[in-house]
Order: sequence, then C-alpha cells, then structure tokens
Amino acid sequence: MKSTHYQSLDETVYTGVLENGLTVTVIPRKGFTKKLAYFATNYGSVHTDFSLEGKEYHAPAGVAHFLEHKMFDMPAGRDVSGEFAALGAMTNAFTSYDMTAYYFSCTDHFDQCLKLLLEFVSTPCFTKESVEKEMGIIDQEIGMNEDAPDSVVFENLMQAMYRSHPIRVPILGTSRSIRQITPQILEACHRAFYTPGNMLLCVIGDVDPEAVADMARQVLGTERRTVGVKLRPWREDMTCPAAEASGAMEVAMPMFNLAFKSEPLEDGEAGARREMVADLAAEALFGESSPLYLRLYEDGIIDSSFGGGFETVDGCAMLLCSGDSDNAPAIRKAVLERAEELVREGLPEERFQRMKRSALGRRIRSLDSFDATCFRACAYHFSGFDYFRFPEVYHSIDAQEIRDFLAQVVRPERCSLSVIYPVAKEAAQ
Amino acid sequence: MIETIHLLPGVTLRVCRDTRFKQGCLSVQFVRKMDKQEAALNALLPNVLLRGTRRFPDLQAITERLDELYGAAVGPSVRRSGDYQTTGLYCGFIDDRFAMAGDRIVEPVIGFLKELLLDPAMETGRFLPSFVESEKRNLISTIESERNDKRSYAISQLLRTMSGEDTFGLPRLGDPEQVEAIAPDGLYRHYQKVLRQSPIEIFYVGSAESREVEGMIMPLLRHLDREPEPLPPQTGFHPGKGGDTVETMDVAQGKLCMGFVTPITNRSPEFPAMQVLNTIFGSGMTSKLFLNIREKMSLCYSISSMYYGSKGVAVVTAGIDFDKEELTRREVLNQLQACREGKISDEELAAGKAALISSLRAVHDSPGSIESYYAAAALSGLNYTHENYMAAVERVTLADVRAAARQLTLHITYFLRGESQ
Repeated sequence: MKSTHYQSLDETVYTGVLENGLTVTVIPRKGFTKKLAYFATNYGSVHTDFSLEGKEYHAPAGVAHFLEHKMFDMPAGRDVSGEFAALGAMTNAFTSYDMTAYYFSCTDHFDQCLKLLLEFVSTPCFTKESVEKEMGIIDQEIGMNEDAPDSVVFENLMQAMYRSHPIRVPILGTSRSIRQITPQILEACHRAFYTPGNMLLCVIGDVDPEAVADMARQVLGTERRTVGVKLRPWREDMTCPAAEASGAMEVAMPMFNLAFKSEPLEDGEAGARREMVADLAAEALFGESSPLYLRLYEDGIIDSSFGGGFETVDGCAMLLCSGDSDNAPAIRKAVLERAEELVREGLPEERFQRMKRSALGRRIRSLDSFDATCFRACAYHFSGFDYFRFPEVYHSIDAQEIRDFLAQVVRPERCSLSVIYPVAKEAAQ
Repeated sequence: MIETIHLLPGVTLRVCRDTRFKQGCLSVQFVRKMDKQEAALNALLPNVLLRGTRRFPDLQAITERLDELYGAAVGPSVRRSGDYQTTGLYCGFIDDRFAMAGDRIVEPVIGFLKELLLDPAMETGRFLPSFVESEKRNLISTIESERNDKRSYAISQLLRTMSGEDTFGLPRLGDPEQVEAIAPDGLYRHYQKVLRQSPIEIFYVGSAESREVEGMIMPLLRHLDREPEPLPPQTGFHPGKGGDTVETMDVAQGKLCMGFVTPITNRSPEFPAMQVLNTIFGSGMTSKLFLNIREKMSLCYSISSMYYGSKGVAVVTAGIDFDKEELTRREVLNQLQACREGKISDEELAAGKAALISSLRAVHDSPGSIESYYAAAALSGLNYTHENYMAAVERVTLADVRAAARQLTLHITYFLRGESQ
C-alpha cells in the first residue's frame, strides 16, 4: 500500500492494487470509534448490456438493483444481517445508475466485519424461490417510488431528455421488467462485474491499511478474473427529444426539475475538472449568492427548496436545478437569459475567487462525513480520478472556463423541464 | 468531554473541544414551550433573521459573507423536544487550520451570528414587511410540502389524531393558518420576548478552548435585556380520544401507521430497556418486524418502529398494498406479543444491545451528531450521562425487555390508502 499525504486536507490516504486486480483505499482516522467500509462495484442500473467470455447479455431493466437485494442471501441459510448485528455492526447497500455499493459501519470487531463483507459480496447464492419472493418486496419498493414525487419528476425528465440512454428507465426497473429476472441472469451479472478488477474496497476509520489489504487477499484470493465488457449502444446527440414533461400527483404545490444536457465526462482528471467547473458554473448561474437566485427568491418564484448542480452518470451529464414553484417556465426563461448575460459579461474576478474559496471550504467540511467521503472516493475512483486531489484542481480553474461551459451547455435546445402538478380535485371533495 | 458553563441566568454554553474534525459547529437555541399560539412564530423567526441584517441587508450580501468565511453555512434550526420547541440558528464552518495562514474562522462566524440574531434589517418597531411576507409564503409551502412525503405525512396525521390536547400532536412548524396570521410588528414583539425570556442553549464543537469560546460569545449576550423565565418540566404523554382513521389519496402504496403509548420516557429508569425493546422489535434489518413481515411474508419493502423517548410514544410504519392492512396490523401485534412473552433469543437480545451501544459510541465521531445528541439530551431531561447510559444498556436483561414490552400498548392506527378501491 502506497501512502500519500495531502497537506491542504490534513489527510493521509493509503492505496494499492492487489494481485487479483482489486483497488484498496484506506483513509485512516486516528482517534475515531466508527469504522466504515464500502465494497463497491463499477456497475449500476444502466449496465444491462454486456459481453462476457465471448457471449452477449441483455439483462432486464432493474437487474443491478435486484442483484443488490439478493447478494444478502448466503448458502446454508446463513443470515448476513444477523451476523453483522451479532458484531454490533450495521450493514446495507445501494444501487445507483452506475455504481452498486455494499457497506457496513461498526465500532468493534472490525476485522470480522470486513471479512463478512468481502465474503457475502463475493458469494452468489440465487435460487428460483428466493428470486420469486424478492419480487414482492421490490414491487413494494417500486410502489413507494411511484408515490415519491421527487423521484417521479426526475424520471419523467430523463425520458424527456434522452432518446436511448438507459437513464430513461428507473434504477429499480418496472414491475414488469423485474418479472423476467432469473437466477441465471443474476449469476451472469455477478460473474461479469463483481470481479475484483472491477471493484473498490474503501475503508475509513482508525484501522491498519495493510491489515485491510491482507484480509482482501485472504478472502478474495489472488486470481485475476475477466471483467465483463459494458456495451454502450446508446447514441445521444445534445438535443432533447421533448422540451417538457408533466404529470399530476398528490403534491402540495408544483415541483420541477430543469436540466441542460451536457457532453458526458471523459475519464480521469479532465472529467473531474469539468465537473468542478460545472459546479462553479451552477453556483455562478443560480447559486444562493447569485443575483438570479436573489431576484427569483424575492419575487417568490423560487423558495428555499431550490437547489442545483451538475449530475453525471456513465454516458450522460447535465446541469440541473430543482425545487417547488408555481411558475417553473419563468425559471427556465430567467436561467437562459442570465446564462447569456454571464457569457457576454463574464464573472467579476473577486466574485469568482470568493466562490472558489467557498466551494473548496464546503468540500473540506464534507470530509468529516465518513459516508460522503467513502461515496466520493468510490465514484471518483471509478471515473479514474483520485478524489483527494480536488484542491489543486480547484486552484487551477479560471473564470473563463465557467463562461465557456455556460456558452456550451445552457442553451434552449439542450433544455428540458419536468413538472409535477397537484392532482386536480373534484369540485365537491 | 462536554464542558457546561452557565454564562448568565438561563444561558448555558456547552463546549465540546475536539481537534479531530475538519469543521466546527455552533448552535444557538432559544427554548420555548411547545404552544399552539406561538409554534408558527418560533418557526418563522429564524427564517426572517436570515434574510438580512443592518450591515448585510439582503440574501446576496449574507451569502457572500458566508462565502468569504470559506463556505460556512448558517441555517434555521427549529426543533421539538417533548413539550419544548426550540428556535434558533445552526452554523457549520471549516477549522482554522484549513484557512489561509493567519485567518481565523470561528471568531468572525460568531460575530456574524451575533449580527444575524441581534441586528436584523428592520424599520420602526417591526421586521421588514417584504421579508416577513415572503418567508411566510415559504414556511407555508414547507409545511404543506410534508404531504409530498407520504410516510412522514402519515406519521404526523397519526400523531395529530392520537395526541388530543398533548402538545406532541402539534405540528413542529405550526399550522398554515397561524403562519398566515403573522404580522411584521407582532413577530418583532415576539422576537423581543424570546430574547428576553427564553432559556438559551449554546453549543460549540471544535478546536477552540472553552474559555476562548466563552470570550467570543459574551459580547453576543451583553446587550440582551434579560428577564429569564424558567420552563415547566417535561411531562409524559397524554393520549387523546381519537380513534382509528383511514384517509384516501391518489397513491400507489398504502401507508399503515400504528401508534403505541407507554409510561416509560427517557426520564424513567426503564428507558434503556425500552430502547432495547424498540431495537429488537422494529429497528433495522434484524428486527422482528423486518425479518417476519418483510423477509418471511414479503408484505412490504419498508417497515420499522420508532420510539420517541421524550414523550413515551412509539410508532410503527409500513408501506403495503391496500388490501394487506388487516394482515399487517395483526402480524405487528403478534410480534409485539412475542416480545411480551419473552420470545426473544439470546442473539436478538445481544444484537439489540450491541446496536444501541455502537450508535452511542459513534455519537462522538462527528460535530453534528455530538451537537444533536447532547442538545436533545439536555432538553428532554435524559437522566443519564453518555457513559452511564451505555452501561445501563449493557445491564438490560431479557426480563427488563419483556417488562418494557408489557408497558407498550396500541392506542390507534392510521391508514393512508388509494382512492380507487
């Protein structure tokens, strides 16, 4: 394990690649009782199409999330959650569009917990009965999601913005698509993407980095296995098939997502830099210290629910803002106009420097959160960038890059607006 | 580890000096009685204070100041703890060691908080009407948006129904009608009263010494004209007469909420046993509710129980199909009955205690969790220090858990269902 000290963050990070291809990252935090470990795979809901050992697979939508649920099953009826609980630890997992992560947090028995995490995520155990039983549970999760307006407003937006990219489909899949999931397809996905070469083990807490690497060797072995090849048949140009999407739900007031389509990020530092530029551009355009935010807030068009930033997923990226508003089209108009103005006039240097200082400070503060830090370390690792280098990237960004980004991305043809309106009630309730 | 300093009558400063973190936090809370007449005023107050001061007259000026302070964040903090409601501000900021050489953060942050709290933008005898009106709209929309999250909406409908006259049923941020009725001069008079009368709880976590923090806080208090009024002690729950309720909405999934009552609060000796019971019964992926109703019966994705120790109320929630209400409800009661009969394995008991102790030990691992744990403990009257509390959990026996389960009884249920059937 190689150690790197990041002076401006007061942080030392250990990282290494094992014989089997697994990357291990350890962020030692002396004097803390909590330990958190993420075992994450560079594989999420958009990766339904892949090839492995010469064969092509086209899995049903929702398979990555279904697999995440079923990983908790172990042979011989072993109960993973129960074993963690017996160690006083808590385990869980999540699936995003392009990542699946399993994690535990504990205060004691770290070695045993780590062993268990590595074991259960590397041990497929799928039966027809258990797969069928899971459908009922995931159906309820889908139902819960259908009643969550913030999910629905985003999912509608993705359908309006993209033609073929699988971000059009919810992470959970649909009640119908998950019916096509079989133990065989789960096994294939596991074989393709849950191989050490496609994964990251990230640990934060008062632990010994070498002991973490040793445990990973011991449980996962040293054999290097083939990683599935993701097929990305989707082709997207930078226009949106629909400028608007709308729906009606049980919400108190209209809720909107407004987004501008951006080129997908490159891997490595170039991509990370573009993401930080985009975040600063979002701040300059509609962040809380922007004149636009102030005006819309004072006019009552947005309220404190308003927020935004840059969202990236394998194969797509967008500048997005969201919130509650009675007049979302007015926000779209104002954002487009303000972007034009910023491109024309540029950003005062003093304001730009203040924004950078603030963005850096907020990122540094977020390092106190074990969860946010592990999550970011994983996400950036999978896009080929060492997250702890963010201060140097920030320092090197100049104001012209913000202008260039806005000129390229914040354009009418790249824009979609999704709104969820309150359901219309009958006159006599 | 936590130093408690009584700065003035009714003003307490708690300092947790800790050099491990990259950020510090500071909260200032004015403690009020939870009261139907003033809940909305207390909820609105910090939002209006955050709109502008004499020196930083609008949102943009305020945010720019926070940007200069390396992205410090100040937000409104309106909390409920048993019979009390607190109103105030919460602030997070980077530790001095990350600032440019020689820059100090905590001192200007406290200075800025002082301006926000004591030097608001105003005109003669009232807050600026434009700020008050726009924050009223925002607060009403926040309150009404609770409906967007069906689970939390269902819980608050349940609590409202089961509470009768108990303040626990009052919405934390007040009712929209009460917000609507607020005028800029009335809010200003209320603000003066809050500054004069309320007990003040100040909490600091970070790398500065307590004496230093005290020195920085005192100027904030010096100009206050204080006539502190002590608060009545916390009380247990007084259930109302309300009965089982069904509400219909245009939803895909039903939300079942079951409200339980118990005389055991966090002031009672049985509190640790009730916490252990709640963990075994319905908290997390190894609880009886999760293992039986989700994993065995596939009835739901989410199911859990929560215990409000400040009041002695527990709530079970589950997201289910509309036609599974009776079945789920019966099974929840079966699982509670199993606890009452002591049908709890050694493993369940050990795991329940271990989970609680782990989460208590981890309290000290972030500034936010330190602040929220100790601030809540002080207000709700928790009778244990952090250390004693963990030791008490360790001592809980099966007989204690069984006894706690016998003191937990179903009061009413609330079911949110679709309109179609």
